[in-house]
Amino acid sequence: MEEVYVEEFMSPGCVGCPAVREMLEELSDEFGEKLIVEEVDITVDTARAAQYGIMSVPAVAVNGILKFMGVPGKEELKKAILEEL
Amino acid sequence: MNKEKRIGIFICHCGKNVAGGLNIESLVEISKHIQRVVYVAENRFSCSEDGQVAIQKAIQDQQLDRVIVAACDPSLHLLTFQRCGEKTGIEPQFVDLIDIRKWTMHGSPHKVSPEKALEKSTKLIELAVKRISLKRLIPLVEVKAEQGVLVIGGGVAGLEAGLDLADKGYDVHIVERLPTIGGKMALLYKVFPTNDCAPCILAPKTAYAHIHPRITLLTNSEVKSVEGYIGNFDVEVVQTPRYIDTDKCTGCGECIEKCPCRVVDNVYSAGMGERKAIYIPYDQAIPKKAVIDAQNCLYFKKGVCRLCEKECPTDAINFEQQSKTIDIKAGAIIVATGFDEYNPAPKSEYGYGRYGNVITQFQLARLLDIDGPTAGKLLRPSDGQEPKRVVMIQCVGSRDQKTNEYCSNICCMYALKHAQMIREMVLPDAEVYICYIDMRTTGKDFEAYYRRTRELGIHFIRGRPSEIVEKSNTKNLLLKVEDPEIGHLLEIEADLVVLSCATIPSAGSEQLAQILGVNRDEGGFFKEMHPKLRPVETNVRGIYICGAAQGPKDIPESIIQAKAAASFADGELRKVKIKLPEYIVKVSQLNQGG
Repeated sequence: MEEVYVEEFMSPGCVGCPAVREMLEELSDEFGEKLIVEEVDITVDTARAAQYGIMSVPAVAVNGILKFMGVPGKEELKKAILEEL
Repeated sequence: MNKEKRIGIFICHCGKNVAGGLNIESLVEISKHIQRVVYVAENRFSCSEDGQVAIQKAIQDQQLDRVIVAACDPSLHLLTFQRCGEKTGIEPQFVDLIDIRKWTMHGSPHKVSPEKALEKSTKLIELAVKRISLKRLIPLVEVKAEQGVLVIGGGVAGLEAGLDLADKGYDVHIVERLPTIGGKMALLYKVFPTNDCAPCILAPKTAYAHIHPRITLLTNSEVKSVEGYIGNFDVEVVQTPRYIDTDKCTGCGECIEKCPCRVVDNVYSAGMGERKAIYIPYDQAIPKKAVIDAQNCLYFKKGVCRLCEKECPTDAINFEQQSKTIDIKAGAIIVATGFDEYNPAPKSEYGYGRYGNVITQFQLARLLDIDGPTAGKLLRPSDGQEPKRVVMIQCVGSRDQKTNEYCSNICCMYALKHAQMIREMVLPDAEVYICYIDMRTTGKDFEAYYRRTRELGIHFIRGRPSEIVEKSNTKNLLLKVEDPEIGHLLEIEADLVVLSCATIPSAGSEQLAQILGVNRDEGGFFKEMHPKLRPVETNVRGIYICGAAQGPKDIPESIIQAKAAASFADGELRKVKIKLPEYIVKVSQLNQGG
């Protein structure tokens, strides 16, 4: 069974981040253990955000590849995850 | 399909910094049982030469293709371990450094019990194992780096960085929110510890920036949006109208003489003087061009007047001017937005805003300036009389848990400077008191400056008044202050009280940080990548910070940082082509609708 690792870059007070959080929670229910989601607070883990060149949150990386900066559509996000499975 | 990865974990003791705060043996044992982990080792100092050799040997002997080092902050040593792995053929992206030291090290704000540290470290390692085993190799693409730099802020730090880069051959845009460059330094008159005339030592820089063929000055301008990545930032700047054709304006000032509208000048006179609705900020302003303050101009308010237009000998007035959007391509960005002075009104015990004779140090600086609102005469605001007794209060809004916890760094020195100026240049007979917590005079030649101030007969009181009361008849100010050095309560009746207020981030820093995607620290200043080792880099590659935008600092430190920021920008852009992960370019193009 393949897995997908999603890094969800956020910061406190970020307006769009809760929407991404909600989408990922719904997708986690759908994909179960195959989907691993890590919430990365860019104000704490600055080095990780810098590695990806992230300039704004929310941002989403899938299996080490930055896929979205800004709030993606749920279908877009799902497609990006399915491509890695 | 993912081939099964061979992951090695290296747990660093960091001397006792990690080993003193959790059971390393337990962490090693737990790590050995994580799926895909084929090798676990511990090392006293993984970053040492021996530590790195041990990692390289393990990579070869165990045929590892992924490495996790559990040690310290990645902003400190990730590159060290990526280079170490690269030497034995592992792509940098497949070497990760995770910070477990934050939970174990004495002095860390995140320190927890050894049991908790073990639990948290285990979770972090498990997560890192999953992350690195699923990580794909990211193709790198080569992008051309624009040979231009955007500098945000036209104060001494921004000018220094801009001039350094322009002299190296880069095209530099300096964006300044106000109508003139020069920043706060231009308004200080004298600077410590040499008591040089500030405009005299600043003017060579402002004048050079004005005529430099590779520098474009955009005053009255603000950055509205930034997209892109290092080498290719697309910046949108909005320039608000001066209502003056700057090609025609000669700065003669005839329009100003005729303007009937006087308003308090809160910017260049810090509220201590007036200007007209059409004005030139000060004599040495660059550019020396008039500007109309549309909020107060009678024509914009009531549709009448236009006297300036009638009087201008070169027809430079243009009431039809509109805001202009300017697009700039920049390879790197330097943030040098400086600072503001804390408004002490919320510290109601000092009566600022209620008592006319309580002012701030920046206001005092403007009063002491021979080109300031009182032409260098120190006159108290309530009655225009010369004060006989001046009391300065340190750390107002600084080193204070209710406002700003940090030390503002420069207040002790500018209080000493102003005390010297009052005694030596303005009012030799005036008594000057400085009420302080500690005098912090740590820069080069600062201690001698402090001693010289004491020798001038300035009174130093190690304590601060808890309250100021105004006498209704004289508008004098009564202060009670406990001086532990003489052991009793002093009562002082002052003519003028000067508050040494905190240095705070300049207005608009929060919004600019959002536009740039750059983090800010607890005080609201732009945050450096690492406080000691990477003090001018930010979390966004290609964006650098310098001067008081990064934290309170004096002019020499601002210059040093400006030069460092310019050097970093040059270091990246001189490559001409920069290798970046493919996704950075792709995502940026998507965001821009490309």
